[in-house]
Amino acid sequence: MSVLLEKHIVELLHERNDKAISLLYEHYGDTLFGVALKVVRDEELAQDVLQESFVKIWKKSDSYDSSKAKLFTWLFRITRNTAIDKLRSVNTKTTKEIQMDVSDVYTLGVNSTRPEFMDVKENLEKIENKYQIVLEALFFEGMTQQEASDELNIPLGTIKSRLKIGLRELKKIYDPD
Amino acid sequence: MKEKIKIFLDSDLLEKYLLDTTTDEETLRVERYIAMYPEVREVYNELQDNLESFAKMYAVKTPEGLKNKITTRIKTERAGRKKFTKYLVAASFAALLFAGVASFFWNQNQSLQQENTIVNNKIKTLEADMRQQLEDVRNQFIVLNNPQTRRLSVRGNKKAKELKAVAYINPVKKLSYINVSKLPNLPENQCFQMWAEVNGEMINLGIIEEASDKEKLLALPYSNNAVSYITIEPKGGNLSPTLDNKVANIKY
Repeated sequence: MSVLLEKHIVELLHERNDKAISLLYEHYGDTLFGVALKVVRDEELAQDVLQESFVKIWKKSDSYDSSKAKLFTWLFRITRNTAIDKLRSVNTKTTKEIQMDVSDVYTLGVNSTRPEFMDVKENLEKIENKYQIVLEALFFEGMTQQEASDELNIPLGTIKSRLKIGLRELKKIYDPD
Repeated sequence: MKEKIKIFLDSDLLEKYLLDTTTDEETLRVERYIAMYPEVREVYNELQDNLESFAKMYAVKTPEGLKNKITTRIKTERAGRKKFTKYLVAASFAALLFAGVASFFWNQNQSLQQENTIVNNKIKTLEADMRQQLEDVRNQFIVLNNPQTRRLSVRGNKKAKELKAVAYINPVKKLSYINVSKLPNLPENQCFQMWAEVNGEMINLGIIEEASDKEKLLALPYSNNAVSYITIEPKGGNLSPTLDNKVANIKY
């Protein structure tokens, strides 16, 4: 997203102009929906998550501080936290059936991926699997580094270094120079 | 200093901060490092860009109609908030008005209470005064009507030949009064003062002013073998009698 457009959206948010929400949805909706879906693995739930996230974004719009985080980082944090909370509340209600369905729905979700993101998907494949697993665990599974270490059976130090290197690999993909 | 930054960057604090999983204490530390060191700021910005790139890889087209749902919900939130703000304004106004009215009544109540105290005190003083006067009149009546009352004519000595007074002494009721009916004229800077010596103690009975006291009976403190006298004193009265200026003597 261009710096100018981001600035414009932030201004609208601070003015509490609901056009900001429309613009945010247009520019970040798919990415945030993808994040929500990756966390909850259920399209219905992901829709709820996205809706709740946007309401939170709207309510917190006065408090966004561009000196502390870029707009996307802020949006990502809200969406990720909302999704993780949602997942926890659903899990406490415990329905194994839903989790069974989840994998099917998720497959559907992947199939409905926009074609224009396909090159990004290819990029994703370029990231070595071992890094991708760690990044996904930390970013989407809501695991702490310690939890990821226990879950994936990888030493904590390796988790830390793979997180760092994984993020650097991303940079290589986007800026080959 | 460089070592400090390296240690910080080697830790995973920045990554944790990126995902909003730092504790409050850690958050403060990270934000301080970001603000203070450009190297840290640069890495943080890079991490943010990478996060965005990484997240974009997972983008999924949002379902039809979701945008509409969201914008409608935001509009309702907004309307609710506006309504709430309206109520808030109305409530604040009402509260302010109430505070104003309450303060007005409170002030009024305070001043009424003060006035009430003043009036009450005045009534009490008047009552005491009236009771005193009534008592006095009753005693005078008793003294004047009692057959055992002795009536003593008092005349002035040569210093005040014109002085005429009548004293009423009742040893049974232990009451005595004096009526000064005539006083000689005195220079402006002098006055007549009445005294009584009771049980060896000198009591100041006050200044006699002829004009107003003509009809008035002045109570004398009663005691066996008491002496009352009138002296000429400087205007305004004296604290103790000038015995050389004694003009009349009443023994009872």
